[in-house]
Amino acid sequence: MKNTLKRRNFIKLTVSASGALIAGVHLQSCMPKKPLAEVHQFSPLIKIDTDGWISLIAKNPEIGQGVKTALPMILAEELGANWNKVEVVQADYDTIYDEQWAGGSYAIILNWDLMRTAGAMVRQVLIEAASKKMNLPVEEFITKNSKVFHTKSNKTLPFEELIAEASQIPLPEEVEFKPTDSFEIVGKNIPQVDLDKLVSGGAEFAIDIKLPEMVYATVLKNPVFEGGVSSYDDADARLVNGVIDIIELNNAAYGGRLLGPNSPNFVNGVAVIANSTWASFKGAKKLKVVWDNSNSRKENTTELFERFHAQLPNTSIERKDGDIAKAKRSAASSFEAIYEVPFLAHATMEPMNCTVDFRDDLCEVWAPTQNPEALQEGLIKLFGLKPEQIKIHLPRIGGAFGRRYYVDYAMDTAILSKKIGKPVKLTWTREEDIRHDWYRPGSVQKISASLDKEGMVTGWQHILANASRKTSLGREGGPAGTEIDEYDFPAGLVPNLQLEYGHVLSDVPLGQWRAVAASANAFPVHCFLDELAFLNKMDSIDYFLKFLGPKRMVPVVGDYEFDVERLITVVEKVRQMSGWDTPLPKGQGRGFAARKGAGSFIAEVVTVRVDENEKTKILRVDAVVDCGIVVNPSGAKAQVEGGILEGLCAALYGEITIKDGAAEQSNFHDYKWMRMGEVPGIHIEFIKNELPPRGLGEPPLPPAIPALANAIYAATGKRIRKLPIVK
Amino acid sequence: MPSYTLTVNSVKKTVSVDADTPLLWVLRDELGLTGTKYGCGKGLCGACTVQYKGNAVRSCTLTVDSVLEGNITTIEGLSEGQNHPVQQAWMELDVPQCGYCQSGQIISAATLLSKNPNPTEEEINAGMAGNICRCGTYTRIREAVQLAASKLDE
Repeated sequence: MKNTLKRRNFIKLTVSASGALIAGVHLQSCMPKKPLAEVHQFSPLIKIDTDGWISLIAKNPEIGQGVKTALPMILAEELGANWNKVEVVQADYDTIYDEQWAGGSYAIILNWDLMRTAGAMVRQVLIEAASKKMNLPVEEFITKNSKVFHTKSNKTLPFEELIAEASQIPLPEEVEFKPTDSFEIVGKNIPQVDLDKLVSGGAEFAIDIKLPEMVYATVLKNPVFEGGVSSYDDADARLVNGVIDIIELNNAAYGGRLLGPNSPNFVNGVAVIANSTWASFKGAKKLKVVWDNSNSRKENTTELFERFHAQLPNTSIERKDGDIAKAKRSAASSFEAIYEVPFLAHATMEPMNCTVDFRDDLCEVWAPTQNPEALQEGLIKLFGLKPEQIKIHLPRIGGAFGRRYYVDYAMDTAILSKKIGKPVKLTWTREEDIRHDWYRPGSVQKISASLDKEGMVTGWQHILANASRKTSLGREGGPAGTEIDEYDFPAGLVPNLQLEYGHVLSDVPLGQWRAVAASANAFPVHCFLDELAFLNKMDSIDYFLKFLGPKRMVPVVGDYEFDVERLITVVEKVRQMSGWDTPLPKGQGRGFAARKGAGSFIAEVVTVRVDENEKTKILRVDAVVDCGIVVNPSGAKAQVEGGILEGLCAALYGEITIKDGAAEQSNFHDYKWMRMGEVPGIHIEFIKNELPPRGLGEPPLPPAIPALANAIYAATGKRIRKLPIVK
Repeated sequence: MPSYTLTVNSVKKTVSVDADTPLLWVLRDELGLTGTKYGCGKGLCGACTVQYKGNAVRSCTLTVDSVLEGNITTIEGLSEGQNHPVQQAWMELDVPQCGYCQSGQIISAATLLSKNPNPTEEEINAGMAGNICRCGTYTRIREAVQLAASKLDE
């Protein structure tokens, strides 16, 4: 496969002082649809050292999704590097790397061609250098194990011996990708980089950073959303051994909501600066703060969900296909159901923390962030800094799941460091972490279907009502976001379809949570389809396949269409793998759900046993995934395992409730997470094909929720229309 | 501030901290042993698990003055060069995702196997029940404990 580059000068080869060949890639030029930056900047993605070691840059933050391994693997593959002599180097945040945020399952989708192009370009240069040196035609060479290999004579030249020649080669304008069937790294189980450090305590997370002169801080924030500080007495806190200072974090003093949508929204509180984390925690406990809650709506869960229900008839139409009213008039029958999904916290294992050294108008940040772009933007707006006054390091992150898309904790730290003129490590307690999350929005969802005389859907109306994470100013209003998107399943599959959104204002801070809207919307959609199957006395998978219709490309929105055949294939495979058609003992049941997400297709079957006390034991999960080429099977499987378990945990236990304007949960005793004994065996298969790889971080999660609920129905005859399952 | 002498990874260490300082923060902030993690501060999640006198304990709830009598083993001191069978099994199965809970998981697994070299699946579930993994590495952990047990058999 040839990739012709219309733009020249998108790669630059230089030889460093130590004699290493550094390939700088102008990443924006590799993306044909993007406008070129005015100044060409080259990101040093590949460095070939004189001792044969190759350094590859991992450009995106590692949050546990495996990109620190997977992206360099793609580079190494096209280059023909020996993976055993590759050192992966984590990039800092820098505009030369173009996009560095982690989210939306996009890392592989956005970087596949980019990494291939960069790797292939350097391979071609090395081959040309070898061809010149050996005076043999370029067509007769390949690269392998960090060597250029002459296929006819078996002669080899190691990369490091070609540095001088390669740096003189005019750069190619056309790159040719390796045929996928010749891959030697991509598609292999490659143990993640950092593995040895992760099992011996040596991997450095943001929370582990220690700087000279650094002080420690924690913050006590008003648990009530939109609340402020009225006054505080810090006399006792200051008496705690090790406490250095007490500083109020005042929203208004730092621009309040100035930063706009998806930017940090400060919560007022009081910070304790100390000479150890423990002293700061102890100091915070001794603070006596009078909170000002005059600005709070003093919301509670019951009242919020009543408002969501009340909003169902008052909506905006997000998508309209055909005419649902007409479908209703000619329907043989109809069916509707209302579902409720709760607010959820992220509860990353590593609580929110950040280290900032903000002195002399230079702001150096070690941030566990998924979104360095937003962090830089926030620092620029808040302190009037220039980009060159900000340096953001991207250490390993102890879980993100969407929480670290928001940078509030990092902004707090920068404020404190600037104020006291020393490096500060801010650590939130778990309690602060859960009480000051950007929660997955809870919602009420109503689905109504018109059915023909065979029980198949002719009209589909899905109404979702809630407070939206896309409405940045939940309190003041502003443009309403939507939590139901025009491409939501089953858009494109039903001739008469309407997706509607009812918007409610709330104080609750809302944000992205793994799989975002699908984490909430897959549950009603796929439980509803299961209900329709049973209503028509049909097998759930048979009904779903009939619902999908023939193999075809279905236009969904814009130039995005979906290949129904790929979904059918994973469904049929999971049916077989899970033993779907074999009987189960009494008290056991299987549930199914399948959908598309981030370009991947996934079908899941959950098998449960429910005892006479209604206690559910998940016995087994089967999943079949088509995500195109699997870059690193070990890492890909981990994403599927993790996504499924996160879906199951959330379905069973996940719930943040609101009382008097604050989250009621605060730690793992009341925000429950699954433990080892509850975890079923998970069987995963990937469909093998040569299609470009698509996202995997999110797609496995949403189907697990309805598959579990449907399994419980199959076992008990009891429908679940409200989550969580275990109260 | 009072000073305390602890035995950490078989080495005596003296620190000056308040008596109520949890072992976790002594390890992390005073001794620079940051492999032991803070997760909940209430003994709920297991991220801070270390061995004290051969038992798996939650270092976030044990004060420094209560751990003066025996050896404390942290993840950094579990082996030389990651050669403990549990670490070996963890690497063979590529267990971690984000990795934050893994020190605690490994210490719990190593402690379980030191007391029961051939645990059943139920015994593994019980022995590991104090450790939460948010990423969902549980299935690989269970497999890795079994693999480590088989390595101990050899």
